[in-house]
Order: sequence, then C-alpha cells, then structure tokens
Amino acid sequence: MTTTLERNATAQIPKGGGLARRQNFGTAVVAGVVFAYLFWLIAHLTLDSTGRPFGDQVATFTGLGWLIGFWIGIGAFNGPFRWLLGRDHSHADDMYYAGQNMGKARYWKFTTDHKVVGVQYIVVTMVLFGVGGILAMAIRTNLIAPGNHFVNQQVYNSFIAIHGMVMILAMIVAVAGPWGNFVMPIMIGARDMAFPRLNALSLWTLVAAIGLLVTTLAVGGLPVGWVVMDPISNQAGIGMDFFALTIIAFTVSTTVAGVNTITTMMTMRTKGMTLERMPIFTWGVFMAAALGLYAFPYFLVAESFQILDRTSFTSFFVSTGGGTGWLQANLFWLMGHPEVYVILLPAVGALFEIAAVMSRKPVFSYRTAVGSMAGLAGLSALVWAHHMFTSGWAPTLGGPFMLTTEIISIPTGLFFLVLIGTLWRGHIWMKLPTIWLFGFMANFIIAGITGIYLSDIPLDDQLHGTMFVTAHFHYVFVGSVLFGAIAALAFWYPKVTGRYLNEYLGRISFWFVFVGVQVTFLAMFVSGLRGMPRRYASYSIIFEHTNFASTIGAYTIMIGMIILGVALVTSWNKGEPSGPNPWQANSLEWMVPTPPPLENFEVQPVITEDPYNFDKEMVRR
Amino acid sequence: MNRSRSLGIAAASVLVVGGALGLAGFALATAAPHQTALNCTPVQGASKTCAITLATYPDSGEGVHGKDGGAHPDWVTYSNDNVNVPANSTIVVTINQYDSGGSLNNAFFDQVMGTVGGTATINGKTVTHADPNDIGHTFTLRGIPGMGTDLFVSVPLPADNNSKTPVILNGVAYAKPVVVQFSFKTGSKGIYEFNCEFPCGGSREGQFGQAMSTYGYMSGTFTVQ
Amino acid sequence: MSDQDNKKPLKLFFWLWAIITVAGVAVSLWAPGYLMPRSMSNNMHLTILTMVVFSVAAAPVAAGVYAASIYMLRTWSYRGDDVPPPAPVIRENNKVVASWLLASTVLTVFLLIWGLGALAVDNSSTGKNPLVVDVTGQQWVWSFSYPGTHVESNQLYLPENREVEFRVTSDDVTHGFWIVNMGVQVDANPGTITTIHTTPNRLGEFTVRCEQFCGLNHSFMDTEGFVVSTQNFNSWLAAQPQRS
Repeated sequence: MTTTLERNATAQIPKGGGLARRQNFGTAVVAGVVFAYLFWLIAHLTLDSTGRPFGDQVATFTGLGWLIGFWIGIGAFNGPFRWLLGRDHSHADDMYYAGQNMGKARYWKFTTDHKVVGVQYIVVTMVLFGVGGILAMAIRTNLIAPGNHFVNQQVYNSFIAIHGMVMILAMIVAVAGPWGNFVMPIMIGARDMAFPRLNALSLWTLVAAIGLLVTTLAVGGLPVGWVVMDPISNQAGIGMDFFALTIIAFTVSTTVAGVNTITTMMTMRTKGMTLERMPIFTWGVFMAAALGLYAFPYFLVAESFQILDRTSFTSFFVSTGGGTGWLQANLFWLMGHPEVYVILLPAVGALFEIAAVMSRKPVFSYRTAVGSMAGLAGLSALVWAHHMFTSGWAPTLGGPFMLTTEIISIPTGLFFLVLIGTLWRGHIWMKLPTIWLFGFMANFIIAGITGIYLSDIPLDDQLHGTMFVTAHFHYVFVGSVLFGAIAALAFWYPKVTGRYLNEYLGRISFWFVFVGVQVTFLAMFVSGLRGMPRRYASYSIIFEHTNFASTIGAYTIMIGMIILGVALVTSWNKGEPSGPNPWQANSLEWMVPTPPPLENFEVQPVITEDPYNFDKEMVRR
Repeated sequence: MNRSRSLGIAAASVLVVGGALGLAGFALATAAPHQTALNCTPVQGASKTCAITLATYPDSGEGVHGKDGGAHPDWVTYSNDNVNVPANSTIVVTINQYDSGGSLNNAFFDQVMGTVGGTATINGKTVTHADPNDIGHTFTLRGIPGMGTDLFVSVPLPADNNSKTPVILNGVAYAKPVVVQFSFKTGSKGIYEFNCEFPCGGSREGQFGQAMSTYGYMSGTFTVQ
Repeated sequence: MSDQDNKKPLKLFFWLWAIITVAGVAVSLWAPGYLMPRSMSNNMHLTILTMVVFSVAAAPVAAGVYAASIYMLRTWSYRGDDVPPPAPVIRENNKVVASWLLASTVLTVFLLIWGLGALAVDNSSTGKNPLVVDVTGQQWVWSFSYPGTHVESNQLYLPENREVEFRVTSDDVTHGFWIVNMGVQVDANPGTITTIHTTPNRLGEFTVRCEQFCGLNHSFMDTEGFVVSTQNFNSWLAAQPQRS
C-alpha cells in the first residue's frame, strides 16, 4: 500500500538469505525434473499397473510433479510460506525480489519488477515463434509437392497440432505479454503491477507450461489437431495428457495475469489519470485481459474433463459412456473464439497508439475506439457455435449464430474507421512502426472479408474444414496480429533498450514478410476453394501448384522473420541510440528515463489531459 | 553490459529452440521402427507379377519389433510396415493371420473388395466375403483419388482356426494361422497406406486408437516404384 | 489555413477507389465459378452464387481501405529523421462515425438477410420421395449403404434429379462427410445420426472427402462418386453383390 506512494525504491539488501536467494531458472528446471521423477515413482509404486489408463495416470502425475517442482524451484511459494511462518517479507525483501541492483541475473529469476517480466515475455514470445515457425516450415516442406513425405504422416499430424498450439500461445502473449507488462503500468502512472508476485508467477507458469508442451512432442506427440476434438483425442497416447496439463498450467498463467492487469488498471492509476485519459493501448490490454478471464477457464474445464476421461474412466466426451464430443467442441470454442480477440485487441490498441503518435494527431474518436473494442469483446462471447455449423449440433441455432457473427463486422469496421480517421490529414511519419501498421491494414481487410464468407452457413457448408479456413485465420494471425505485434515491438523497443530497432533491416524484413504472406495465403485460399481439406499430409495432384506457391511464400516469410530476428538481437546493444522519447510522444512511458528505473517515477505524476495533444510544447527529447 | 544481456537472450533462445528441435527429432526417430522395406519377389513365369507374404500377430513379438516386442509388446502388429511394390503390376499377397477375433464395427468390411476377380482364397477356399462376426483383422489398402494411385483394396482376415496345434515362432506358441491369398493391380508411382478395419486398437470409442493409428503396428505404407 | 488543415484534393482517392472496386468486382464475378469445384447440385449453385454476391458487396469496402491507404501514403506521408510538425487536431466527427456505422449496418443486414434466405433454401427438403443413403465413416474409409437394397459400397452412386437424404454416422471418431461438388458438408459423429439433403442435378464424377481431422490416414479418406441417370443407377444397384 505504501510503497506505491513513497519514493523509497532503494533499500539495504539483507545479507544471507539462504537457499531462497539462490533460486533461478536453473534450480526451477532441476526441481521440476526431480519432482517429476518423484511423482512418477510414487505413481508406479501405488497405482494398479494392469489397467489400461495406467500410462495416462502415470503421465498425469509426472506432469503435475514437473509443474509443482518448477513452482517450488523458481521460488513461487517463498512469499506465502514465509507469511505462514509469521515472517512476512520486509520492504528490503520486496526490493530484493524486484531485482534491485541485481544486474542481469534478475532476468533468470522470480523477479517481480514489471519491466523485467516484460523483457522475459519478449524472450518467451521469440522462443515460441521460433519453435512454431520451424514446425510451420516442416509442414510446408511436407506439402511442397503431392505425395511428398518429408516427415511421415504420423509425425506430420503431431506437427500440425503442436504448430497450432505453440503459435496460439505465442500470439496470445505477443503484445499483451511484453507491452502489457513493460509499458502499461508506466502508461497509467503506476510504480508496478498491483500484484508483482502474481506477475512473476504468471510468467514462470507459462515457462513451465512450455516445458510440458515440449514434453508432449517428445512422448509421442499430439496427432489429433490443435482443436483436440473428441473422440479423436481419446485415441492419442500419453502426449495428450501432457497437452491437457499444458493447457491447465497456461490457463492458470493467463488468469493470474488477467486478474493482475485488471486490478492494476482499476486501482493503480495515478492522480488525474481518468479512464478517458488512458492511452488507448491500455484499453486494448484491459479488454483482452477481461476477455481472457472469461474465456480461458472453458478450456481449463475441457482439458480437466479430458484428463478425467483418460485417467479415471469418466465419460464426459465418450459417447459409449453417455457423453458427447460436442460438449468438448462447445467448451473449446467458448474459449476458442474469444481467444482470437484476446489475441487481436492488444495489437489493435497498440496500432491505435502508433497511428496517433506517428501521424501527430489525436486518436480519432477515442470513444468509438474504446466502444468498438468493448463491443468486439462482448460479441465474441456469443459467436462460438459458428465453428460448429457443420457439426450437426443444434442446426436450429444456425441462424442466431450467423446473426451474432455477422454483427461482429460492425465493430471490426470501426477499427478501420479509427485507424484511417487518425492517420487522415496527419503528418504520417514513415518509420518502422508505421510501415507495419499499413501492412496490418492491407491484410486485416482480407482477413475480415473472408471471415464473413465463413459466417454464412451455405458457404460454410462448402468452405468449412478446408484450406480456405486455414488461410483466413492465418491472415488474421500472421497478416494482422503479427504485423501489429512487430509494429508494437518497433515502437517500444527504444524504451526497453534505449536504441532503435534497425530501420534498414526492419524494412527489408517487412517486404519479405508482406509479400510472403500474400503469396502463401492467397494461394492457400485457392487450394481451399478448389476443395483441399485442412490437415492433409498429402494431397491430390489438382492442388499441386497452389501448394507449391504456399510453400515458397512460407520460406519467404521465414527469411523475413530471420532478418527481423537478426535486427532484434543486433540492435539490442549496437543499435542507433534513441534517447528516452524518440517518437516525441506524450504518454508517461516516454517521460521516464530509458531504461526506466525501478518503480518508474521519481515523483508521482499528475495528469491533466490525455496524451494526444501533439501541438503543445511539453515534450522533452 | 548490454552485450551480456543480448548474449543471455540469444543463448536462451538457442537453448530452448535447440532443445525443442532435438526433442522433435527424437519424436521423429522414435515414431515408427525403422524397418528395411520388404521388396516384392517376382513370380517366375508370369510377366509383371510379384508376390509378398505378410502376417498379423496378436502381439509385437514377431515382425517389425523383433523378439522383445519393442515399446508396446502387447500391441497387435502386422509383420511389416513398409513394402515396396512395382508400378502397373499384379501383386500376389499372402497373409498369415495368427490372431483371434470377433465382430466388426461395420459389417461392410467382411467383403473382399478391389482384388483381381473380386475374390480371395481363405485357407484355399475362394470367397467374396467372410463371417463378419469372426474376423481377426482386415487388410485395407488405399491411395489418393486423382493421383494415379487411385485404388481401394479390402480383404477380411478371419480369426484363427481355434486349432489345438500351436505353431512355435521364436519360442512362443501361436495358433495355426489362417492363410488368406489375393492379388491386386498397382497403378502408377506413389504411396498407398494400409491399415486394419477390425477394432483392435484400444481407446474407448470404436477401439481404433493405439496400435491401429501407429505405424509399425496395424498401419503401414506401400511404396509403388 | 488550408495548409494547416492539411486538406488535400480527394480526386486521387476517388479514382483509386473506383479502379480497385471495378477490378474487385471483375475478380468477384469470375473467380468463384472458375476456382470452385464443378457444381453438381442445387446447394452448390447457391454456394457459388453466394460467393459471388458477397465478393461483389465486399469489393467497394476493401477498395476503400486500399484506396485510403495508398492515398494517405501518397499525400500525407512524411519521410525524414526528425519528428514531423503537429497535425490538425481532429478528435471527433460524429457525422463520419454515424455514416460509417450506418453503411456497415446496412451491409451487415444485407448479408444477414441473404444468408438466412439461402439457409432456408439450402437445408429444406422437398419431401418428395427422397433416396435415403446411410453414410458411415470409419477410420479411414467411407461406406455407403442403400436401405432396402442390401447394397453397400465404398463408392457413392446417386441418381440425377432426385433428392437424396444422407444419414451420416461414424463408427469411431468424428469424421466430416463432404461432397466437394455439392456443397454438402456435415460431421459424422459416433452414436448420432446427422441428416442432410441435396438434389444432384448434373451427371458426372464427384469427390467425397473427410474434412474433419480423423487420425493417421485422414488425408487418404476420400473416395469418388458418380451422378448417373435413374436407369443406370438402378442397373448399378442390381449389379452389386447382394448382402444378406
């Protein structure tokens, strides 16, 4: 309570501290492995090894062991444990855990400083994109020619599922993770998140979840598609158990992060920071956090049921036991559709912010911007069954779900209005963020329009389950969200490093990725229109040319992303110095030094107007 | 000082990506046993004809996995999962079926389909279908339509003869096999996939998981060369 | 004042918009019929028509975004290393927001009404003596049986110009029964029968594919079918092996 108001960011670090002071990523991995082994041993010694679900039971125990061990090893329970013992953290302890004077080591620890967590999220996102991208290349290589078997079908089937899941996780954290943590609290004038320890917990739980997902791949994969439908996932091996645990851990991570974000924005705004003066990006993060809080628990429920079905012979999803796969499909899509907007909204918020700053104009119709994001978040909860138009479940609901789905095009259209309205008549500064912003607009209109085709049931009866759908949502994720995420990266990179992201490499990367996206996914639309289903490991000769084009396009995207990766790493310590406010923006994160000090502000700022008055001489460079 | 941070990030990325790749490679390598392909033996005196002999076992102690049975010794297996056959030829297939059986999920698969003459011989007797309630496995082979590998062959493999005289293979007693023979014609070069349509694979819905969906057990590939 | 307002003539924008719209409409009229599979049923005619109508309706919208982007890049982009001067402060314009909302609502209502109308036609059954076909998916083969005839086949034969009622189910996991040339798609769910109707109206060969991921050989789970004359259909039925 008091630390947020007092300027008291330094404290004498207590000496000693024992084991708790030595915990880091390494001890977490070791403890995770040790606990996994212990749980495996206990399961083997205590459970009946003759039953069929024995393997699943052991796998579930092992995965839980990893998760619990990782938490203990990283130090997630230290605070509560000390509180139980009556020796709660002192202020000095809190400063230690915030990483004061710790140097680089703090990036490997359970560090509570929101800026450290933001940087950790950047790294996690890059790792996820790396893994998912490699899998994408393997998939496209397999599809380069009909009947090609670069990997066999069994491995391919796992690759498509893991690629899907890894990329979805990457997309969910791509904007909200790094920037929702690094800049959002500074933007609203807070010294840190409302619950700094929960912030660290959400990051490290995500890392633990990634460990489980990698294990999935190693123990036989997930040959069921990323939507893990039932009954097909009931046929999968123990990889499915690790996958279900991944989702449970991931949901814990997002829920904790969502509660933290919402509380921070509701309670930690500085004096004068009314809701209408908040930078528009923070609204994007807020909507996404709120929506994620609503949506992800459905997936947690679905995967918990899945584990029970597999280990305990319950029958939630097994029709021979009175369950139904439609229950799984409903729970999945109750999560799955809002999740798209959890991914999209932070990127859109960031792009609104970028459009205003880079065109030196206020956000056009701020209330429309907030309203359209809220409308989208609300509507997205009511459209899930459009993924099930052809499933045979409740055909009567087709009309109503077509209605809600098509209404979504109204708030989506308002995004374009706000973006174009903000840029219109501005002085559009053509820097890296702006370039990716224009790329976003070009791709997002295609994503939106093809979405309308799919919302129409007679058309969906032809296009559902085809490459057309795949191309559509890749235009959403790669063409739109990734472009938004890269724009945000280029925009806030100077705040993290004090240096610009290399403009030259960034532009080359843009053209590779932009052209690559068009080639890959326009050709994929054609594959789908011609009748190629999704998730095919090999295909008929009539799809030969479009698939070849998609593969070449995918390689082009990969080259672009590698160039961007090179720019990211080399600019970190060798880039052109930017100063604290390279874009001459007025929001609070640009008013503090770069890198921002622990607890951000020397004097608690007071806000008198929104940050979009670029005609005033209040900017310091 | 920034250098060490970027090095740390680079090291972390390399570590994790490398680890994931290693695991992917591991998964790839262990997904199916590496078995040398079974080649079709030309039949003397007949042009463009060759013969292969396969078997189906109630466990994995024979065939692909060898004596120890591999990762899942209790799973049913085909003797081979990787067969090379010549294009545009007649393939004479003999299958020794050692497993017991039961009822098909879909009686459709009791028919002999896609073979030369639409028939097969079961223990020397020519038939067009078998008893759907006494099937051990099926041999079901298919290509992709529109690829020149357009083909569909399905032959029921009846359950063992319940014979009291076991056959000893590698020191293990098996029931005397049912011998099923048929021939089919291959198209142009490409890949055919074969599997079994008798529910013999565990999992709670349809019994089609595990062995049924795993290469090297009840699924495999014909490469047309 | 006008320079400070940063207003520029809009002629270029309208030209761009008109050209892109015309190009978009041309592509919309041509592409669906050319790219989509040969239509062999009433459903598929409707599907292709809907594709054309929606594309034509979408062309001016997409053209608006592209024209605006190109126009803004041509007119207002500022290339330099120093921060540009402040631009005019335009915070609200209720007229623009209202007309934008109105336009997108009108478009949405049009799409919705078209969709509901098409949906009503698409799923309706004429009820006139439909031919019933039982479709069973099993990993990874489709089988079709014709109730009352003791015929089961892995190829789908259908008579021309007679309504067909597919009763679709699965023996194991969920499959997706999809007749590519007929715009007919419904899942095959274990333990449940889902029904879908169509009327084939052109002779020839068509493809049946599985569009719901169903395991190892998912990509091999397709087969062909034929629409034949009623006479040929009956003689095909008679020639099939009769099952007891």
